[in-house]
Amino acid sequence: MRNNSTNPRRFWSLLLLSLLCPTLLLACGDPTATIVPATSSLSTTSATTTTVPPTTGIAAPTTTTVATSTVVPATATPIPTTTAASSISTNLTDGCVTNYDPNTDYFPQKATLKYANGFKVEYFKNYKVITVLTPWRDAKETFQYVLVQCGTPAPKGFDKALSLNVPSKSLISMSTTYLPYLDNLGLLDKLVGVDSAQYVSNPTVKKLVADKKVAEVGNGAKVNVEKVLDLKPDLIMTYGLGDPQNDAHPKLLEAGLKVVLNGDYMDSTPLGRAEWGKFLALFFNREGQAQKQFDEVATRYETLASKARVATPKPTVLANAAYKGTWYMPGGNSYSGKTLVDAGGAYYWADDKSSGSLPLTFEAVFDKASQADIWLYQDYAGSLEDIKAADERYSSFAAFKNNKIYNNDLKVNENGGNDIYESGVANPDVVLADLVKIFHPELAADHQFVYYRLLAPKK
Amino acid sequence: MKITPTISTPAQPKVEIAELVSEEEVNPWPATGLRRLWLIGFAVLLLAAFALSLILGSVNIPPGDVLTVLLGGTPGRSTWTDIVLKFRLPKALTAMLAGAGLSVSGLQMQTLFSNPLADPFVLGISSGASLGVALVVLSAGAVGLSSLSFLAGLSLLGNIGIVAASSLGSALTLVLVLFVSQRVQSAVTLLILGIMFGYVTGAIVSILLYFSLADRIQAYVAWGFGSFGGVTWSQLQIFAPVIISGLVISYLLIKWLNVLLLGDNYARSLGLELKQARFWIVLSTALLAGSVTAFCGPIGFLGIAVPHLCRALLRSSDHRILMPGVILVGAIVALLADIVAQLPGSGVILPINAVMALLGAPIVSWVILRQRNLKAAFGR
Repeated sequence: MRNNSTNPRRFWSLLLLSLLCPTLLLACGDPTATIVPATSSLSTTSATTTTVPPTTGIAAPTTTTVATSTVVPATATPIPTTTAASSISTNLTDGCVTNYDPNTDYFPQKATLKYANGFKVEYFKNYKVITVLTPWRDAKETFQYVLVQCGTPAPKGFDKALSLNVPSKSLISMSTTYLPYLDNLGLLDKLVGVDSAQYVSNPTVKKLVADKKVAEVGNGAKVNVEKVLDLKPDLIMTYGLGDPQNDAHPKLLEAGLKVVLNGDYMDSTPLGRAEWGKFLALFFNREGQAQKQFDEVATRYETLASKARVATPKPTVLANAAYKGTWYMPGGNSYSGKTLVDAGGAYYWADDKSSGSLPLTFEAVFDKASQADIWLYQDYAGSLEDIKAADERYSSFAAFKNNKIYNNDLKVNENGGNDIYESGVANPDVVLADLVKIFHPELAADHQFVYYRLLAPKK
Repeated sequence: MKITPTISTPAQPKVEIAELVSEEEVNPWPATGLRRLWLIGFAVLLLAAFALSLILGSVNIPPGDVLTVLLGGTPGRSTWTDIVLKFRLPKALTAMLAGAGLSVSGLQMQTLFSNPLADPFVLGISSGASLGVALVVLSAGAVGLSSLSFLAGLSLLGNIGIVAASSLGSALTLVLVLFVSQRVQSAVTLLILGIMFGYVTGAIVSILLYFSLADRIQAYVAWGFGSFGGVTWSQLQIFAPVIISGLVISYLLIKWLNVLLLGDNYARSLGLELKQARFWIVLSTALLAGSVTAFCGPIGFLGIAVPHLCRALLRSSDHRILMPGVILVGAIVALLADIVAQLPGSGVILPINAVMALLGAPIVSWVILRQRNLKAAFGR
């Protein structure tokens, strides 16, 4: 039986509530959409004097975005004065242009890429366009950045790209791999923040953090957005994993900050990864200097590698270790795998095509590689005893019996941060020299170990 | 007003507990021979699974060569001797012991708490173990290699260190649980306290993970996948006696377990000292589950599923039949899951927990659905 007066009231209040809730949720904003600068089909503007021809239309899927402001307020109003084309001899590494001349090429020093395939750069008279092609594994989107010379007007037609003024005056670095390039280019004074100083090996940076000149802002999902906003950085350089839950950049972009994604870890060749130093330099107009430094590294690397690749006899090489029955072996096409081949080692899995790690069984590795000449342990171990204690079956390996196990922990900071993952990325020639010294000592007689060491029996 | 239960005194004839729980009451099959047949069938299946786990593996070794190695001869390839004797044989033994141990402890937990959803880790044993391992693995990078820190030193010992940390964690949990179990009246309270303890340790582990290096987190997660392959012969020398003693204790508890099926009060009236029974059951469970977790990582599924599987197949909840059944079936399931996880011939390995659940859950569900009344299995 129907109740009298409460029923219609209850009905209408329930109805109102059920209508209000979804509208409130919608009003609070859709939490899943991330503000991501997507690509735009390049509308080519005047580019007759540049040496790099612009490509037409980068095919990329569009993503849902909220357009970030593309018009960058110029610090000085550009006044086109003379009609004669004036030229400058170097990129402006400091300050802004005061008399803008549309005929001047403001980037006479240009970066050209030989090894890195994760990003492209195109030059125009007063701006450069960088496209990051592989920000993370299996990425379905690319990122475009328009770097406008400070003091010149921003180009039109880049609504979906992130636009910023160069040279940047301050930077937050969210990975230790960017720090060596900053140091080499003399840009450490522009650093205002790092994600964490715990695993940093660079002594200058550590001192800056200790003196409170550089702040720690956290990384990934833990990034302290308020702290970052407080630092007012011109530029934040980070890596992305393609996982909105654990990436820092969506939150930072939402806060209106200039975040660029560095995809160096996706590059699977040692020189390709090192060439990302030029990516960093582009934001400070120092690509000329970076180009010179990289050329030296590349020359040293190639000279040594060409000798090592053909040196005989080639020692058979095994890498990493088992953990609870699973042995994560570097794939043949991975960064580690390629370095081993370049150093002249006969790596059992060199023919494998994967660029990541292979989860193999201990049994399978034992069957294939128990007689390996050299074993690069690359895990936590102080001495040979530690290896045997980790698993007594390791003592059946030939490399154990012959005392030929090496570990890559010679340069580790007090918190366990391994410098091979920091300066080793910028200096692949040094890592290569270490490995060549292990595989073909006669080719690197004058070189002292920097990252690797031979494991000795405990005293 | 408390009614004192009848305690067996010298004047009264001692009631033989076994006589009360007669087979006819809990077993719809009058012919007991059929269940013995099942057990013999299980034993045969176990032998077959053992043989199969020695023959099949990620490296292809012909069965003839496997036999040659076992008999002490030389096989076609020299590495095969080491593979069969140092890798496959200890792994097979570990799987059997772990499977049996976890299943028995699951059975005991289900009886003690009269709860079909109870598993050996319900008392927070696996949480204590994971906390111990987390403290060791995740702090590995935090101190220099030459440091004398106790925890870092443990991590440098690798496998042994992790086993030690895990055992320590389980042992401390055990002490805590035993202490509490002697002081609470009902088993449900104990259950809930165990679950709460699990939450607390889980939270601490989360915080440790939050602040860790990526490769340390990977090491910890890899431990969580569970594996029988990490136990070497020297570790088996500790693992096997511990499991066997746990199984022996459990076997001696059969009578008490049967009585507990009838409910706490009835059990008390039959002269069963509840606190004493609880003590020994918890002790044997912690011994079994804790040592398996220490040596193999947290292995789920077996503890909860195998007892149900046995109850359905053997149509009995009499522990005199269930205990051997659960030991055999637990060993078989663990061996088979390990064979599949090895993906024979491919050289790649899958985590054992995933494989067990993927294969086992549908089978157990099918068996359970065919059974008409699950509650009857608990004597209700």
